[in-house]
Amino acid sequence: MYWPAFALFACVVLLLLAGFPVAFTLGGTALLFALGGALAGVFDVSFLGTMPNRLFGIMSNETLVAVPLFVFMGVTLERAQIAEDLLDALSRMFGGLRGGLGIAVVVVGMLLAASTGIVGATVITMGLLALPTMLKRGYDPAVATGVISASGTLGQIIPPSIVLVLLGDVLSSAYQEAQLAQGVFAPRTVSVGDLFMGALLPGLMLVALYAAWMLVLAVFRPASVPARVVAGEEAPPSSGGSAATGEWFAAKVLRPAARLGRLLAALAPPLVLIAAVLGSIILGLATPTEAAGVGAVGAMLLAALRRKLSLARIREVARSTARVSSMVFLILIGASVFSLVFRGYGGDEVVRDFLMSLPGGVFGAVVLVMLVMFLLGFVLDFIEITFVVVPIVGPVLLSMSLDPVWLGVMIAINLQTSFLTPPFGFALFYLRGVAPPEVPTTAIYRGVAPFIAIQLLALALLALWPEIATWLPAALYGG
Amino acid sequence: MNRTLKVAGAVERVIIRTGEAVAWLTFFMAVVTCLVALLRYGLALGWIWLQETITWMHAAVFLLAAGYTLARDEHVRVDIFYREMSPKRQAVVNLSGCALFLLPLSAGLLLGSLEYVQTSWLIQESSREAGGLIYPFPSLLKTLLPVTGGIMALQAMVICVRSVAELLGVPAAAAPRRKPDRPSEQTPGSMPGGGV
Repeated sequence: MYWPAFALFACVVLLLLAGFPVAFTLGGTALLFALGGALAGVFDVSFLGTMPNRLFGIMSNETLVAVPLFVFMGVTLERAQIAEDLLDALSRMFGGLRGGLGIAVVVVGMLLAASTGIVGATVITMGLLALPTMLKRGYDPAVATGVISASGTLGQIIPPSIVLVLLGDVLSSAYQEAQLAQGVFAPRTVSVGDLFMGALLPGLMLVALYAAWMLVLAVFRPASVPARVVAGEEAPPSSGGSAATGEWFAAKVLRPAARLGRLLAALAPPLVLIAAVLGSIILGLATPTEAAGVGAVGAMLLAALRRKLSLARIREVARSTARVSSMVFLILIGASVFSLVFRGYGGDEVVRDFLMSLPGGVFGAVVLVMLVMFLLGFVLDFIEITFVVVPIVGPVLLSMSLDPVWLGVMIAINLQTSFLTPPFGFALFYLRGVAPPEVPTTAIYRGVAPFIAIQLLALALLALWPEIATWLPAALYGG
Repeated sequence: MNRTLKVAGAVERVIIRTGEAVAWLTFFMAVVTCLVALLRYGLALGWIWLQETITWMHAAVFLLAAGYTLARDEHVRVDIFYREMSPKRQAVVNLSGCALFLLPLSAGLLLGSLEYVQTSWLIQESSREAGGLIYPFPSLLKTLLPVTGGIMALQAMVICVRSVAELLGVPAAAAPRRKPDRPSEQTPGSMPGGGV
């Protein structure tokens, strides 16, 4: 009797649309299906008896402790307003170029992704700060909103990222399960650190592709990405005298020096922190969780240096972290009730048989799973997809001898794309919320289209050359 | 109804205070994690129990703050349709969601984990790791499961009361409220440095 498993899945997706919190809809629907099945005599309730032990497993999972710590670090940096300084400094640097502001947004998106990693905050901050300037400068609203939304989602893929922590944890148990099922009793492991390293190059590749797109626009549609007209540099040099020398000195030496100083002052804090956090993971000095703790304390020190730290602010950060953490982990709990019942009805075996019997073999299975995740991404958040879908399909795909790091990075880029896909992409919602009313929603949709194409291109490149993801972890850890 | 609303408000305040209090643990988690890392790599010192306290603070935070997060309406919703709904419609969603999903789940968590917790107290459980936290800490941690079930059930009832009040048209009884506390969401600033 397996059809109830799919009725359960369909019911959950439909009921989620009603808008009751995801964690409880997931768990509650599953519980009702379990009780109904028990009454009808087709479900063994003793299955649910393992629930407390599973919950305790979630409570004592050391890997996942990295989640609140990275959130703490991100929120602290957000409140310290490093984003504002970064945008200011980088747009001064790149603003004189055609497409320069767009590139500045991409670079800021990258730096924030590697430090705060909070998509909503990044999109909102850049939407509030960069969008008005870009529009005033004559940027095509579609180009401006597209580059802001896309750069904001980089936090999902560039490590340290919370998606990668969650995915890493889910994939490592899926990997073990896949190997045990094949009779490998000394299974190889995949860690969150492996996934961080695997995602680094693909993340930077996306940054390069976004920036390249800005350059393409600058060459072929220059009117959509105009350069700044700099007052002062445009004026012809005045004639003769020491006054002119003084002016020349101010324009050519003092101002650039001041600009460089401001740039370094803005860049240094996030760069030092990124180096410390990622560096300690890369060098194998610290686990991702330890690095997250160091990062959180480092973020507080940076905030203190910038005079943005107070007891009241720590309290705010702590409360905000507690709520995000509770939100994430209750979804994990709801999803584990769901998977328990789904498995109780034999749903996982049917998924396995189906994926195994696909005509395209491994390729067909991966394409189908990616497509399903992409489609689910229209309505579900990355957390739900990671906790609900990956535990079901992960062991099957990994038993087809796919590389777990490669699969994880593919899934992460796919989930990142779902943030951008209209009509329900979260990044688009965030940006719509802060974009001026004269920017039509259709412009935002048009604007992200090329970036969705870039995402698909990145997935294709990664499928053709898995080494983009697997080379770095293998080189560092000897594979 | 007004009386019931007042009681509900009082219950919710206790739940919110609890959540706000445990939220401080996130700060201590950061500090202790950093300390553990520095001690290990700087001085080659390490204690398993100290490491375990981090995991346990973490568990305490996400469990005991769950009701508080619910009170602040920050458990994520698929809100494509929800946010377009009238307050009355939203009340229907929240009332039926609590009755069908949240209350049974909380009750299940509360009742289903009692035996599990009882066993832990009876056998005076200590951490499985040598040098880990000893009795009664593991049992205390497990006790958080039924406690969380209780808190969630209470907050679900608070939401039910509010939703019924909204449906009956009692004033000032909105569905769960969300107070934005991110400055970046509240104050649209201008680009620092003006004409960049």
